[in-house]
Amino acid sequence: MTDQLLDLACGLLLLTAVGVLWRRELSALITLLTVQGAALTCIAVLLAVEHRHAETLFVAAVVGILKIGVLPWLLRRVLARIPEARETAPLVNIAASMLAAAALTLLAYTAARPLVDLAPSPTARAAPVGFAVVLIGFFLAATRRRAVSQIVGVLLVDNGIAAVAFLATGGVPLVVELGVSADLLLAVLVLQVLTTRLRAVFGGTDLDDLRELHD
Amino acid sequence: MSAWVTAAVQAVLVAAVAPLVIGLMRAVRARLEGRAGGRLAQPWRDLRKQLRKEPVIPADAGMFFTAAPVVLMATSVLVAGAAPYLSTAGPLPGVADLVVVVGLLLLGTVALALAGLDTGTAFGGMGASREMTIAALVEPTLLLAVFALSTRVGATDLGAIVAAGATDPARVFTPAGALAAAALAIATLAEAGRLPVDNPATHLELTMVHEAMVLEYAGRDLALVEWAASMRLTILLGLLANLFIPWGVASGAQPAALVLAAGVFVVKLAALGGLVAAGEVFVAKLRLFRVPELLAGSFVLGLLAVIASSVLA
Amino acid sequence: MNPVAAALGAAFALAGSGAIAALPAPARWGPAVVGAATAGVGIAGAAAGGAAVSGTVWQAYLPDLLPLAGVRLAVDPLAGWFLLLVGGVAAVVGVYTIGYLGRDGHGPAARGALAVLPVFVAAMLLVPAAGSVSTFLLAWELMAVTSLLLVLGEHRHSPAVRTAGLWYAAMTQAGFVTVLLGLTRLAAAAGGESFAAIRAAGAGLSPVTAGGVFLLCLAGFASKAGAVPLHPWLPRAHAEAPSHVSALMSAAMVKLGVYGIVRVGFDLLGGGARWWWLLLGALGAVSALYGILQAAVATDLKRLLAFSTSENVGLILLGLAAAGVWAGAGQDGVAGVALAAALLHAANHAGFKTLLFCGAGSVLRSTGTRDLDALGGLSRRMPATTALFTVGALCAAALPPGNGFVSEWLLLQALLHQAPQAGTVLTVAAPVAVAVVALTAGVGVATYVKVLGTGFLARPRGDGAATAVESPRSMLVAMGLAAAACAGLAIVPVVAAPALERIAGELRAGPELFAGGGVDLRLAGIGSIVSPLWVAVGVIGLAVGFAAAGRALGRARRRAPAWDCGDGPLTARMEYTATSFAEPLQRVFDDVLAPEQDVDVTPAAESAYIVRAVAYRRRLPDRIEAHLYGPVIAAADAVGRAGRRLANGSVHRYLAYMLAALVAVLVAGVIR
Repeated sequence: MTDQLLDLACGLLLLTAVGVLWRRELSALITLLTVQGAALTCIAVLLAVEHRHAETLFVAAVVGILKIGVLPWLLRRVLARIPEARETAPLVNIAASMLAAAALTLLAYTAARPLVDLAPSPTARAAPVGFAVVLIGFFLAATRRRAVSQIVGVLLVDNGIAAVAFLATGGVPLVVELGVSADLLLAVLVLQVLTTRLRAVFGGTDLDDLRELHD
Repeated sequence: MSAWVTAAVQAVLVAAVAPLVIGLMRAVRARLEGRAGGRLAQPWRDLRKQLRKEPVIPADAGMFFTAAPVVLMATSVLVAGAAPYLSTAGPLPGVADLVVVVGLLLLGTVALALAGLDTGTAFGGMGASREMTIAALVEPTLLLAVFALSTRVGATDLGAIVAAGATDPARVFTPAGALAAAALAIATLAEAGRLPVDNPATHLELTMVHEAMVLEYAGRDLALVEWAASMRLTILLGLLANLFIPWGVASGAQPAALVLAAGVFVVKLAALGGLVAAGEVFVAKLRLFRVPELLAGSFVLGLLAVIASSVLA
Repeated sequence: MNPVAAALGAAFALAGSGAIAALPAPARWGPAVVGAATAGVGIAGAAAGGAAVSGTVWQAYLPDLLPLAGVRLAVDPLAGWFLLLVGGVAAVVGVYTIGYLGRDGHGPAARGALAVLPVFVAAMLLVPAAGSVSTFLLAWELMAVTSLLLVLGEHRHSPAVRTAGLWYAAMTQAGFVTVLLGLTRLAAAAGGESFAAIRAAGAGLSPVTAGGVFLLCLAGFASKAGAVPLHPWLPRAHAEAPSHVSALMSAAMVKLGVYGIVRVGFDLLGGGARWWWLLLGALGAVSALYGILQAAVATDLKRLLAFSTSENVGLILLGLAAAGVWAGAGQDGVAGVALAAALLHAANHAGFKTLLFCGAGSVLRSTGTRDLDALGGLSRRMPATTALFTVGALCAAALPPGNGFVSEWLLLQALLHQAPQAGTVLTVAAPVAVAVVALTAGVGVATYVKVLGTGFLARPRGDGAATAVESPRSMLVAMGLAAAACAGLAIVPVVAAPALERIAGELRAGPELFAGGGVDLRLAGIGSIVSPLWVAVGVIGLAVGFAAAGRALGRARRRAPAWDCGDGPLTARMEYTATSFAEPLQRVFDDVLAPEQDVDVTPAAESAYIVRAVAYRRRLPDRIEAHLYGPVIAAADAVGRAGRRLANGSVHRYLAYMLAALVAVLVAGVIR
């Protein structure tokens, strides 16, 4: 039963990552990110229950609060302040992005094989899902113009890393997870400030406009 | 012998229910939009009326135009008879293969596209061109979903796949199964010409796909085309139902089991049809050149289903 | 006497006498003589192939026929399959030739080019029958040279023919050189040049040698097979050659490239490493996708068919790749299915491509154009040709109940098979391959709908199409024969099952591929069944039934003008053309095809805002050709220009070069 739920959560994790790449509405991106946070929390809770590990349960709680509560709330605040609601012209069009996502997933699956063989636990074989989410996150951050999309991409990367850590080791040391999450929170706050300033200066959050600062 | 009876019963059932499915979907949609809407059997009445009318064909049309409705109908009836809707033990296991079913449905599409081109009007060509573009892009999704489904039994035999699902539902409700279902659902909407890929209620040249191809049909030919189109929708929804909600399909040809299976089948169809109609209230038709994005998404879902079946299973 | 020997002997004798008889024959009788001789050669070759695939093997060594190596012939079931294929195509094309060359200057007018036809067919029969490296290379080169002569048949009519001939000559000779290097290296490593000796030593070769030989041979064979990116000769040569030659080349000659890969990869080298087959699979996937995308947007009927040849070769190569990979993974049963799929698709493609190229030839002959945008309306004026072409298009689109569907079904079965111990690469490669096959099939359907719908249906879009007349009987008979062969392969592919099992068994002792008798194709190891007969009977029977019921019960049809939006009569200029039909697909695959479009707006003299004329031009260049071959050609050109300085026209200088070369060779010999 736990195994099936875990599989389902991993499936959801991957599906939301692809969904983030698929949708153009920025608000939909944040919703999907929230769902993904829930899936990640779910994985952590399941692992904690399975290993009867109180520390992991605590990590799960922190992850849950951060990914389902705080980060989406912050992002929505950013979104409320900027006029753009859609990713109108990504650097790589959506259909090609989907194909790229497919290719990256296949790559993740192939590349993660040695890792899975290293720790052949039933949870570790789902680790490629985490790798795929990391790759898709990087792809998103690299090919989207809107600042919010890029933050979402970075958060995907974080979710992916967390998922790999959970699945491959069956739980992450508390300190590591807290450290990473704190970094991320900081990053989001910085970006929030940045987008506000960007908007004040350029009237939009197209990050390609930053190039003008160079001149 | 009894297997043939089953096939005939299936074909007749699908043919009889198909217009009602359309009627139900229209009724659900009308109700949700706050309209009164037509009756459940209205599509049947329309068919009866059109069957009696005189078929008029364009002056430039040739054999392909007159042959298309019967070819379309033939492929639909063949699939309806052979695929495992009521019983997994069909008379023609060599036709109830997923790849063959996909091919037969595509043959029907091609017949209609050629008919559209045969009229010599711009509408016909436009519809045919769009329909074939969409059909070409749907194909990878369909076959990847077939791939994910065939892992259940190691073969593409529909009867075996449905039977395996019915005996061991736990194998259906996996992430791979869910992803394959989502992929196949999008492919179904595209193949059947429903929103958001095609709007069956439009006659605007900017948006027509299916309707543009059949614009020149009248009378009995039009009745056949519409009937067959509704059968295709029923066939696809029925496949979706039996592949992912595998209960209630008979494994032999006992009359009692068949009657029960027919009842369950109709309920599943009604539920799925209602669901699609309810969903259609909330979505708009995509621009034609946004459709590839949707289909690329469904393609990735199909691919993820295949990968998930080897990673998460 | 061995039946294979007798039939092959008859074929070569007929080819010789046909060629000799064609030279003095009066112009009126030339085509008939050559056509009959070619058909005879084809029938004899097919008979030899038929005997060989049913289990008769034959070997012969004729030491005196050629100096040094002699001629060694060996016919086994694999060779028999390709003999049957080449023979069948040649028989049909022979009959077709009788009428095709009859009048109006289409097809080669020169006697020499006519006389080459039976020799070309004989060379193609000699390739699979060869039993040693030297014989094989001789046959290969004979085939290349004779086909080049045939491609150039209409060189007086258009400069495009000369360009095509140049491309073909350069690429076929380059391919010959790589095959030559590969096979001679193989013979040297194996210590003998007969295939039997190489086979015996093949398994013991070092992986580096074997891999190198495979790569060299693959380059040559894949280029002959028209696999992308070694394809640029193919759309030119197939489009510009006379149609009966196009049919022979596309349906038969291209398959001998496939034969070469099977013979060297599976038979002589005995399998090999997995990366060989993954490379081949990648080649196949690229060929299939690129070929069909180019075909989908092509408006030249014969160019379209040529790119479709690349696509089908891609599918065949995918099948071979799957066979190699599965065999390496120890799954002999699935490997056998994949190999059977590839071989069956080769035969199926031979069938429908003969039919389609012959059909294209008929269209070209009657209308004088192969531009789809100027065709249409042929279903009225050429009903028999249209019907036969429809059969071919149905088969080529891999729709049931066509023959292409059967082999694609088999291919999919081999690709869909999953083995738990297959490894990561296969788990990733298989779904990708399935997606490639699916997309290829989908776009292929759209392509053939385009050909049929815009080329043959509705109203004529040009003068040529408006005045077309039906082809002479011999051409129709030939196309009918090809259609019958397609129908046979489509409905009862089971007849080919024993031969395919024999070949698979010969190449790697796999278990039985097909289970049980009857008309269904039932796979032994996988458990999937397809019954093409029932599909055909079901579709045709039900359709006829519905049509009859409609006619009996309903009212009669009436013709009326089509809906014209109330704006005067519809004209042919309002119809969708092939270009407009393919436009959505072209837009979807914009990034791959990179079309060049320009729009010229000519304003009226009075004001820049009043438009007098708009010209729209679209070109779809072959990107791979431009990017891969352009720099090579430019470099070769530069070298050639530099080399010109060596030759200033002085005889003394040339003699001095000769002297220097002679001295250099002698000095090298002394030092050694």
